[in-house]
Amino acid sequence: MSSLEFRDISKIFPGVRALDRISFQANGGEVVAMLGENGAGKSTLLKILNGDYKADGGQYLLDGEEKHFRSPLEAIEAGISIIYQERQFVPYLSVAENIFMEDIPVNRLGFIDFRELNRKAQEIIDVFQIPIRAETQIRDLSVAHQQMVEIMKAYRRNPKVIAFDEPTASLSDAEIDTLFTIIRKLKEQGIIILYVSHRMKEIFRITDQVVVIKDGRFVAQLATKDTTESELIKLMVGRDLGNVYGELDRNTQMGDVILEVKHLRNPWVHDVSFQLHRGEILGFAGLVGAGRTETMRAIFGADAWKEGEILLDNQSVHFRSPREAIRAGIGLATEDRKDQGIFAIRSVMDNINVASMEKVSKGQWLVPSKERETALEAIQDFRIKTPDEEKHIGELSGGNQQKVILARWLAADPKVLILDEPTKGIDVGAKAEIYQMACDLAKRGIGVIVISSELPEIIGLSDRILVMHNGRITGELNPKETTEAEILGYAMKETQ
Amino acid sequence: MEKSKKGSVLSNIQKSSNLGIFIALILMVVIFTALKGSYLSRANILNILVSCSVVGLVTIGETYLMIAGQIDMSCGSISAFSGVMIAVLLKGGWPLVPAILAVLATAALIGLINAVLVTKLNISFFIATLATQSIFRGLAFIICGGKSIAVTHAAFLKIGSTRILGISLPVYIFLVLIIIFGVILARTRFGRSIYMVGGNSNAARLAGIQAKQVVTLLFVFSSLLASMGGMILASRMNSGQPSASEGLEFDAVTGCVLGGVAMSGGIGNMSGALIGLMIMQGFANGLSVLNVQSFWQKVAKGLLLIVALTFDYIRNQQRQKEALKLLAERS
Repeated sequence: MSSLEFRDISKIFPGVRALDRISFQANGGEVVAMLGENGAGKSTLLKILNGDYKADGGQYLLDGEEKHFRSPLEAIEAGISIIYQERQFVPYLSVAENIFMEDIPVNRLGFIDFRELNRKAQEIIDVFQIPIRAETQIRDLSVAHQQMVEIMKAYRRNPKVIAFDEPTASLSDAEIDTLFTIIRKLKEQGIIILYVSHRMKEIFRITDQVVVIKDGRFVAQLATKDTTESELIKLMVGRDLGNVYGELDRNTQMGDVILEVKHLRNPWVHDVSFQLHRGEILGFAGLVGAGRTETMRAIFGADAWKEGEILLDNQSVHFRSPREAIRAGIGLATEDRKDQGIFAIRSVMDNINVASMEKVSKGQWLVPSKERETALEAIQDFRIKTPDEEKHIGELSGGNQQKVILARWLAADPKVLILDEPTKGIDVGAKAEIYQMACDLAKRGIGVIVISSELPEIIGLSDRILVMHNGRITGELNPKETTEAEILGYAMKETQ
Repeated sequence: MEKSKKGSVLSNIQKSSNLGIFIALILMVVIFTALKGSYLSRANILNILVSCSVVGLVTIGETYLMIAGQIDMSCGSISAFSGVMIAVLLKGGWPLVPAILAVLATAALIGLINAVLVTKLNISFFIATLATQSIFRGLAFIICGGKSIAVTHAAFLKIGSTRILGISLPVYIFLVLIIIFGVILARTRFGRSIYMVGGNSNAARLAGIQAKQVVTLLFVFSSLLASMGGMILASRMNSGQPSASEGLEFDAVTGCVLGGVAMSGGIGNMSGALIGLMIMQGFANGLSVLNVQSFWQKVAKGLLLIVALTFDYIRNQQRQKEALKLLAERS
């Protein structure tokens, strides 16, 4: 029987110790869940598994034999396959061509033997009993079937290990059933299945073992049948999450309307209207791709819009660039911190001052003493853990980077601050701090919009919740009375 | 790298990160002098300074662009085109000042074309400016009929021939401009914007910096500086030559990279670029002094760029290693 073992695996990145002596074992014929919060280190471990990263310490054993893959290709050849969230296929090629990607059968002249290719592909399709044809182009398949093709591609390589990274993120319930049938089939064949997800329901449905990881450390390995959801959550977060929100020092004094959006439309946003009050935290819930980020980008002047109206402080506004929006008093902390938020090779100081350079300048001239003073104040106010203000922000942890971004926007003196997935990839301790900072911003009378895909966060943090689906607002809910299930209902609701 | 002490102006010039290349410069001078005593003669030092002045103007433009994450490959052509254009205009009887202004306006337009190609059509800067490089080299030959045009305008020739305290005017022009541009880069909001755009142009835009406008302005600057260089050269050579300044941008970029301006954008400063430029020009001059054949000089320059890029790579690695070490200490 095949086995996979990690012994004291460590991995260090600038700014984070991503993995700290992780050890566990998985055996063939088992589905092992890897459970942990965002940023716990699951993805890093998967990348070590498939040879994308090299561990900085520890041993990686496959069937008792130590492995040092230098590239994903070597890992694939040794029988490691990973099915990612973002599927990796060539959309204009057929199902068969994708399945046999690097091993396409050719005839004697070296040309592709399409008949043989399609026959072999159909054989695999038949094993899984999926209603698709080998000749179909990948782009014409549903998301779920595209994923099945990925799995078939992995299966064709006679794998020892298949790891699934959040495989159900964009699947419907029926599609999840099909996926699980397939996973069970793979399991019966003695393949080791790693299953990364934080959807509890699925973990109890499909897995045999659960490995819990927190902050890059191994916490526990349990038999799924012997544990409970609440036990796993406790292991995952290290404490009861419910308290985090209960302990927040909230703003109680809400002001008048500061931002009003009326029938806003662009290619991604369909007729969105809402109001935001001074001092309010307005939560935007919805699935990935619901149009929340796009709505905010339009308001912020980052994307164009033609129809509708936006009133900021009762004045009709239409920003052509983020610069105009910032000057008028809107800030946007983006979801993708690395590509759209931080300047990794610049100092913490520069990162704080970038959106409010006029405040640390005399005319066009920067005043270094003012730059430093503002930065030092912000570092203290936001409890940013950095050796000094000259440190490159890229070397800080995700949580501290996010605090710098919040400091940046507060320095720009906004009336409205939009936080897009503010705690993504941030550890639990820093999350609580970020929540409190959002509340503090509200107390200053700033209207705060929080986009989050984590339902407990939306419920726990917001004063009011709007749910979006497919570019439209589908519901408005009171966080005190709603449930995760109700929000999800609106998030998946087709309107009209 | 990039470790500055408590914020005086001096620290912004980043003595520490430029120390290495400064030592390299000294070392190079020592070696050439040992090989040929006349290398360090007054006449030869003046030679080097004069040769720095034209490519130096281009270096200023390239430093700005490279920090913003761009490169202008068309500088040499713009320079030659401008030299020919001023010669043609003066020969056609244009008064001096309008002629110079017309050349500068044309150069600004060329810079704008480069900028539009890059910011509006999203063509990679390298390819876009390679295209304009070819276009304006060609046009330089076309407007003069393929032959160099003599310049006899006395006042214009003075630009290249005037000496103050024994040093020729172009050197002063270059020094004044590099100081002005250096201070703007280090001390103004605009200068900071250039670093931010080069550091992360997406984030810069979302933080309220008009990234495209900044890049546009930098291409115009680069073009204007190259054009000034071209006119100075025409004045010094008493003619506008369509084949002049071939590979000017190559020398400038090599100097920048030697001087610690990162190919990846967002890192570098003017004083480093200046030292890099002096190494580059001092090296080329040294080879001439040693009577190395000009074809071999080209080979040597290419090797120098590779050396510079290797240092760029090593600096990058060091930055990452330092980050890791710090982290390991903390955890």
